[in-house]
Amino acid sequence: MVNDSGQLYTMEGVAAGVIMLLTAYIVISTTSIYTPGDTHIPDMQLEQLGSDVLAMMDTPDTNGVKSDLEKFVVGDDSAGFEGMFLGYCNAKAIGADNLHMSANVTYRDASSNEIRDYPLVGPDNTWTGRESAVRVTRWMELEGNPSGVSGMDPSRPRVVLVEVLLWRA
Amino acid sequence: MACMNEDGQWIVLMGLLTALGLFFLALIINQSALVGQTTAEGVLEFPKNDIRDLRSAIFDYYDSYEELNNDLDRQRYVEDIVRISLERKNAVVHFENGTPQDVSGRMLRPITIHYNNGVTEYHETVYY
Repeated sequence: MVNDSGQLYTMEGVAAGVIMLLTAYIVISTTSIYTPGDTHIPDMQLEQLGSDVLAMMDTPDTNGVKSDLEKFVVGDDSAGFEGMFLGYCNAKAIGADNLHMSANVTYRDASSNEIRDYPLVGPDNTWTGRESAVRVTRWMELEGNPSGVSGMDPSRPRVVLVEVLLWRA
Repeated sequence: MACMNEDGQWIVLMGLLTALGLFFLALIINQSALVGQTTAEGVLEFPKNDIRDLRSAIFDYYDSYEELNNDLDRQRYVEDIVRISLERKNAVVHFENGTPQDVSGRMLRPITIHYNNGVTEYHETVYY
């Protein structure tokens, strides 16, 4: 520097420059908005909710008795399963949520060694195929074949996977 | 402002600090959506519930291990879990048991569980 006068001018200039740069950065970076569908937050909440509901349904009332979920799968009780699952899912302090579900049961055919599934609860008319549904699953130990399901290999102790699709309509 | 009047320097300085503070708060708001997204993606990607559920299915299997009539039934049971995991959950699962050992006066079976879904790997040896 030639002389040291005008120091405060320099300081002001630097401060103003920093403020302008920060402003430009924030304005430009804020224009990229994450929409709720992008953030996966509702998906995460829905998946956790569905897992918790399945875990709750799979918990027997006392030791040694069958859980509600097992009874529904063994008895092929579509209406009972749907009613209880949606009852838990849609429970809110005030009013009710608007969740819908469908469910499949996946099993292994030991004689042909193929993985097959059959519908336990069919989707209702809110299912258009465009919903962002999440899938939650639960392993289920059965002593024999579910009743009313044809085409399974001979009855034996088996493990099946209950898969539930859950979406908000 | 410089050289015009030397009064009110503190006011100017505090104004500058306030402006910087506001920018800091704006940055936090600016990042909040991103933080929520990465958290949710992390939770979705990590199969916590799947692993817990698989463990309980495997423990159920060893609960009924003695009741299962023969080796063929046991083998089919294990195959159910392994094959359905691979087909529907995209997870390679392997588990096996050793002979029961005396652990603090109780006969417990060492169970080794391996799980890998391509993103998360999980290995465990548990006495059950």
